[in-house]
Amino acid sequence: MKKKFDRENIAYVVVFSFVVCAVFVAGLAAANEATADRVRANREFASQAAVLDALGIAYADPAEAAGLYANAVRPIEGAVPRAYVAERPDGLHYAVEMTGAGLWGAITIVAAAGESLERLDGIQIIAQNETPGLGGRIDEPWFKEQFRGERIAGGRVRISAGAEAGGSGAKNPDDGLVDGVSGATRTSQAMELILAKAIARLAEVAGGGK
Amino acid sequence: MSAKPGKIFIDNLWFNNPVLIQVLGICSTLAVTNNVRNTLVMTVGVSLATAFSSWTLSLMKDLIPRKVRMIVQVLVISFYVILIDILLRAYLPDASRQLGPYVGLIITNCIIMGRAEAFAAANKPLISFWDGLTSGIGYMAVLVAIALVRELLGFGSVLGFRVMPEGFVPWTIMITAERLLPGGHGHVARPEPAGAARSGG
Repeated sequence: MKKKFDRENIAYVVVFSFVVCAVFVAGLAAANEATADRVRANREFASQAAVLDALGIAYADPAEAAGLYANAVRPIEGAVPRAYVAERPDGLHYAVEMTGAGLWGAITIVAAAGESLERLDGIQIIAQNETPGLGGRIDEPWFKEQFRGERIAGGRVRISAGAEAGGSGAKNPDDGLVDGVSGATRTSQAMELILAKAIARLAEVAGGGK
Repeated sequence: MSAKPGKIFIDNLWFNNPVLIQVLGICSTLAVTNNVRNTLVMTVGVSLATAFSSWTLSLMKDLIPRKVRMIVQVLVISFYVILIDILLRAYLPDASRQLGPYVGLIITNCIIMGRAEAFAAANKPLISFWDGLTSGIGYMAVLVAIALVRELLGFGSVLGFRVMPEGFVPWTIMITAERLLPGGHGHVARPEPAGAARSGG
């Protein structure tokens, strides 16, 4: 009978571990490479769609979004973080990206407003890692729609948190106050801060800054 | 071992249920059950990841040295989970965005490694695939049952459809576990998957 193959030989263990890692990692690298273009196109669309959403420009599908974006929106060159200007019938509107700390990770939003900075056009969330079902609900339409046309009071829009938050969407666009997500007080507070930074940034960009 | 597929199914669903009897993956029973839709997606992911990694590890079992078998198990499990994540990002970007951190966290689910260790290490590939899949279904059954209650009472809805009457006051305690601990400094029992699921099974 043949001698049983010794799997515990240290040289075999090392070579085996190396080969197994190389094979699986190569598999993932190949999958990543094969889908890279698609992923990039998806990101591009997501970013354009977010700017259009924040500005309140409606579109039906990715192709229309790309067209509208190309016609109406112009990135402000050299602006970091990214900022955009759009010519609308009632004058210039600006959109800015802003990132800040959420509860678990960074939250990146786009906020847009007209030149006068009286009211927000709207906001859109580009990236967030908040708790699904709790803080993650900031990405739900009822939450984001509250900011549509909301008055900016004292450089910010307040987000009620904790017990006073109705959690179903504030109806009054004139009080500079929207509902937070119930059960996600810290995410709501984080959103208020990030939005305040975004509004400050909008003022800077509208004033000709980069 | 020559367990029959039917018996494996019944065992994994009931007599040897991964959550109720083996007490595996229980962190996620708290972390991901506050609404039914997320629970379904998460448990389908766990079922597929368990099935495919059990299959692969069973194929490789005669080559894996005992010293490094757990490292290899984690490697294979991560491979499938990351592959799912890459495919979602490329072909279902909306779903990928909504799931956020969920997908990556499947790697840490103890059921996957438990089945690799307890079943796939000693059984043929196909039946290991079946064992992994049915374990995932057993896990899904328990989690969806919990999520139904939590979403119904916590949001007043089921799968996002409102079923409770207009005046219903949601039981916020159902969708958050943070305030269950005295003083509310609930770092141990936070419902968030990042904290809960990473602490193991």
